[in-house]
Amino acid sequence: MNIKYPLLKAIDVSGLTFLSPVVRLISGEEPAKQLRDIGRFIVVPIIAFLVFLWLWAVIAPKHRTKAGEVPTPSVVWDASGGVWQFHKRETLKESGYQLTGEARVAALEEAKTRLGELDALEVKAKAQLETAEAASKETFERAVGPAKSAYETANNAARDSRRARIESLKTMAAAVNPQDEQARADYLTAVKQADQETAADKLKVDALKVAYTEAQNIALPKVKNARSALTKLAEERQFLTKYIDMLSDNSREKKVSDSKEKLAEASAAYAAAKPGGDLYKLAGNVLKRQELLTTIENSQYAKPWTLPKQIVRSLLCVFTGFMLASLIAIPLGILCGLSPTFMAAVTPFIALFKPVSPLVWLPIIMIIVGGFMPDPENHWLLNAFEKIPLIKNFKIDPMFLSSAITVALCSLWATLVNTALGVGSIDKDHMNVARVLRLNFGARLFKIIIPTALPLIFAGLRISLGVGWMVLVAAEILSTSEGIGKFVNDMYTNGSSQSFAQMFVVVFIVGIIGMLLDRIMVLFQRLVSFDTAPAL
Amino acid sequence: MGRTGLIMKHFTTRIVLLNLSLASLHAEKLAVEKDELKFGFIKLTDCAPIVIAKEKGFFEDEGLQVEVTAQSNWKVLLDNVITGNLDGAHMLSGQPIAATIGIGTEAHIVTAYTLDLNGNAITVSNSIWEQMQENDPDLDTDTPEHPISAAALKPIAEELLAEGKKLQMGMVFPVSTHNYELRYWLAGAGIHPGFYSKTDIAGRTDAQVELSVTPPPQMPATLEAGTISGYCVGEPWNQQAVVKGIGVPVTTNYDIWKNNPEKVFGVTKKWADENPNTHIAVVKALLRAGKWLDETDASGKLVNREEACRILSQPNYVGADFDVIRNSMTGTFVFQKTDVRDLPDFNVFFKHDCTYPWYSDGVWFLTQMRRWGQITEPKSASWYAETARKIYLPEVYKKAAAMLLEEGQLTEEELTKTSDGYKAPTRDFIDGREYDGRKPVEYLNSFEIGIKDDPSLAEK
Repeated sequence: MNIKYPLLKAIDVSGLTFLSPVVRLISGEEPAKQLRDIGRFIVVPIIAFLVFLWLWAVIAPKHRTKAGEVPTPSVVWDASGGVWQFHKRETLKESGYQLTGEARVAALEEAKTRLGELDALEVKAKAQLETAEAASKETFERAVGPAKSAYETANNAARDSRRARIESLKTMAAAVNPQDEQARADYLTAVKQADQETAADKLKVDALKVAYTEAQNIALPKVKNARSALTKLAEERQFLTKYIDMLSDNSREKKVSDSKEKLAEASAAYAAAKPGGDLYKLAGNVLKRQELLTTIENSQYAKPWTLPKQIVRSLLCVFTGFMLASLIAIPLGILCGLSPTFMAAVTPFIALFKPVSPLVWLPIIMIIVGGFMPDPENHWLLNAFEKIPLIKNFKIDPMFLSSAITVALCSLWATLVNTALGVGSIDKDHMNVARVLRLNFGARLFKIIIPTALPLIFAGLRISLGVGWMVLVAAEILSTSEGIGKFVNDMYTNGSSQSFAQMFVVVFIVGIIGMLLDRIMVLFQRLVSFDTAPAL
Repeated sequence: MGRTGLIMKHFTTRIVLLNLSLASLHAEKLAVEKDELKFGFIKLTDCAPIVIAKEKGFFEDEGLQVEVTAQSNWKVLLDNVITGNLDGAHMLSGQPIAATIGIGTEAHIVTAYTLDLNGNAITVSNSIWEQMQENDPDLDTDTPEHPISAAALKPIAEELLAEGKKLQMGMVFPVSTHNYELRYWLAGAGIHPGFYSKTDIAGRTDAQVELSVTPPPQMPATLEAGTISGYCVGEPWNQQAVVKGIGVPVTTNYDIWKNNPEKVFGVTKKWADENPNTHIAVVKALLRAGKWLDETDASGKLVNREEACRILSQPNYVGADFDVIRNSMTGTFVFQKTDVRDLPDFNVFFKHDCTYPWYSDGVWFLTQMRRWGQITEPKSASWYAETARKIYLPEVYKKAAAMLLEEGQLTEEELTKTSDGYKAPTRDFIDGREYDGRKPVEYLNSFEIGIKDDPSLAEK
């Protein structure tokens, strides 16, 4: 098998070493050992993950907070479907707005058919909800009724006995001789005892009230499901109505044709006009119509941000920050490595700024960036971004730049320190050889210093990227810059029954992306390291 | 070309067009200066006019493509408007005023449209509610009589004070309607909510109850955590407390001041000057949205609110559950699970001359800012009037309304009739005190709790 060794090499470089036993097993190398390795590196992690899912599914429903239930894996899975559907619907609206001709008519027909189907479905869902509600009402009353009457009886009894106690104490007071010390003390004890009894009663009533409120809060699963089915249909109807509107009356095609008609009218009026004062106005009118037509022809549906696009924007932001950090940290690190004096000068700054939290940097940077861009609409830098294809879709704004700079400020330290370390630990002999060969500074830098320090530089970059990714989500939450952080914040503030589950979805997305970024950096690190460099 | 110039040009073009093609009944679009706009909002149901104008295509009818983005709190929202990241936003009525006179971030913000009336409530935690019920046995029923004053809260605050603690309550922003309403409610029962001063920007000098800022969506969680014992906030955050069983709304701001202005649509002065036609077009779309939201059938039922709730429950808008939003938006309000009341005017988006930018509304907020010391210097009556004029732009509103009238979207009866932009004096407050926007200094001096100014300022 001549494919085996390049494959193993590739696996080694990419850091996916758990795959190598599989390759070796296929090639028939020590099957027993390979099976053992597969068991250890593939089967065990999978089992561990399954155990985690199982524990999660078992424990989550047991923990209820008033803010919502901790979602189970299946709820989270459903929520991810919801997030995806929102994205799909918005994308449909966006493309629907731009459809023309037969495609538009076809889409319109399809949507209308579906809307027609919805009527029947909704009737059915409503009927189901009604049956479920009627059935649950009985169960509900059976559960709540006794709790309610128990609470009310206890509450009334407690109130009455409290009043009775107060009354009897008042009557007792009439008989107490204030001069008699013993009588005074006795009366005090009596009052104290009455107070204690009242407090004990209150405790009992409170417990019953809790039971009563809890009984009220029971949402029977059948009703819940029927209601959510109905909600889903109603949401679909909402979407379809809007979608149909965007395919018919509010479609771009329709608007363009209307606008063209108006332009034709205006042009005709202009052509038919007699020389004189009117001509000026008519000419202006034609120009205005032309302008409107171009605007409409280029108009886009103002699509809300959806998670997939927010993820891409977050990645763009973290890379911007990461690049910025690398551009600052690598040259500084090299200088630090080369000159101990420079290192001594920089050390206090590293020590001082490294522990500062992104949550402190961000507001400061927002103010500074805002100061540079008093009028973001017309700022040259933002306009320059607007001209780059692809990137212009992500609306680079001051908030984006602030988040990126925060990422840079928090992540550059690892690269800086590692670069300095890498450059500082270059073998003296190498430098001596360079001196003997009389290499100039540039050649020394690019032939010896950087290549030797590269593995450590990349180790630093890997840490930086990981830190940057973590910082970014926090920065986006604070700056409301569109991205994953904004999504989390929005879901948190929505406070709907889906919010919790949607945030869990984000946990996995952030985790998976972070893992992939790390893998990519590992790959680069391996590629530049001499010891494990591929023989290609 | 100035603003009037552009408008005149527009009108003459229209007349010419009408002469040429009488067949075309379609209303003419304004020549907007900017057709792609970005508006911000906070996740509260009273952002509805902006969301509805977008979703029902009213903005598109004006040739505008509008992106509507949620902001995490009022400060971020205001900053984004000032820096130009947003073209305009759903703002607290007090925000344009405070920004213009320099409380907090200073910037000249103006408004030509009031988004809604009422819509807030004061919620207290379950334990405070129980203590209030103990203090006032009349409250201890499933359906206590309204309005509930803060009198039953007073002993609780005093007891805590005696222990060296202060009752903590939340409101959403220092210059928010909620802050002034909560203060009005507390002070009405003789509880001092504290003064602001140059050195005390938290507003806690002399306070018997300490108020702190919490973003609306975090109110229920903060209440549940026990950091605060009550709050004043807009919907759906009071209904959330009911649904989650963590608190009880005791009073709505409809009881505190009937038909009080709540949110406005704010833009910077610079934006308004640079985009006069766009501004009119936006106000037109918002007016149509407001009218749509308040449409009723013959029996007075709000017919479009269910659909509005459905739209608002989308995750990119308010995002709360449909049922929660519906609790307060469809003419009812749930005080407790056992106490659901009809409150048809809890959210007003169009009725009662809601949408007009009244000078008298601005003056009321100014008097409250002075009452609690946010305005640190005594001010004359003429200053109040002038400041309101700087911020409220009825001219823009009137132009938009006139155009809608011409297009047949509004009827003559629906137009607000006013000569000078001041509402008639009213006693529709929880304490029955009279408010006349023309007499701010007298109004200020009529309160038992609050800063008082030299009466001679009334004449200046």
